Amino acid sequence: MTIGRPGRVRIVVPAYDEAASLGAVLRELGRSVPHEVLVVDDGSTDGTAAVARAAGVRCLSLPCNLGYGGAVQAGLETALADGCDVVVLFDADGQHPADAVERVLAPVLAGAADVAIGSRYSDGRPYVGPLGRRLGQRLFSGLTPLLTGRRIYDTTSGFKAINAAACRAIVETMFLDLHMETIVRLNLLGFRIAEVPVTMSERHAGVSMHGLSSAWKYPTKTLLLSVVALFDAFLIRSRTRRGRTNRSEGGSGT
Amino acid sequence: MSLHGILIIDLLGLVFAVWILNLVRTQRLHLGYALLWLAAVAGAMLLVSAAPLRALVTRAVGALFPASALALLAFAFIFFVLILFSVQMSALTRRQSELVKALAREAMREDERSDD
Repeated sequence: MTIGRPGRVRIVVPAYDEAASLGAVLRELGRSVPHEVLVVDDGSTDGTAAVARAAGVRCLSLPCNLGYGGAVQAGLETALADGCDVVVLFDADGQHPADAVERVLAPVLAGAADVAIGSRYSDGRPYVGPLGRRLGQRLFSGLTPLLTGRRIYDTTSGFKAINAAACRAIVETMFLDLHMETIVRLNLLGFRIAEVPVTMSERHAGVSMHGLSSAWKYPTKTLLLSVVALFDAFLIRSRTRRGRTNRSEGGSGT
Repeated sequence: MSLHGILIIDLLGLVFAVWILNLVRTQRLHLGYALLWLAAVAGAMLLVSAAPLRALVTRAVGALFPASALALLAFAFIFFVLILFSVQMSALTRRQSELVKALAREAMREDERSDD
């Protein structure tokens, strides 16, 4: 992507059983942004794909449920294959404001960041939501500086703008859930991450993908993946350092 | 270990070995897994039949009784096999999700071609 010049932008909307809210979300996106939209239907059984097609939006229909991470990866891979420069991840449940897309995109399009997170808390607003989620938020935003050396306020936001280079780094890694562990990994790999304050609303309809089991599954999975990211980044760095040393030793001899 | 016990375990080992070979013959068991199981059966039969080897292994793992040493080895083997199977299942999951994504992309392109 040419830094400082707007590139081809695609909005990827991962959706699982979101037929009740998707129509309104797509209409709002259509009114607010000029970019192409791709809905990734993650094996829904409630006609989510039909809602997307009825709205005149491209729909990648996965034959079975791969989970949020799998659906996002499918969307990113398709966007990269289609030559997109920037991808915006946007939830199908109506929590993300369509009129904030351009603000979240701006730092990435300007070349000031590789990833911009639509953040609920970066402007000092308090954590809201159920107690479990508040505790999780505090835990992850407290852990991120320890793992990356910088503060990221909203590690669980699904509203992100990501440039092609960062997208490639994400799709190369399997088994990611695209939350804190991805932020940790991208940060450790040297990608620049920015936060843009965004006000989010409650979901329009349906139920959250985070059920009761998520209370222990989500934090443990995220922590494990973050430690793996740390380990991976350490290996990549030491390999790069070794490569540089070898090159400079080879260079001095010629 | 009594001769009676050794004969029963060796007989069981032989039955297992024939069963495993038959599973390979009928293409219900991958050759790689069959080798692993046959090696485990052979190892168990050898350990049970050869008293000096059993005593050596018992001393080597720091157990007081040969039965404890055998149980420890069996536990370690089961643990190893379970991790191996988890790795295989993860590889299958990865391949399945790649296939699902490729199928979905192909179906979307096909739809778009037919719309044009």
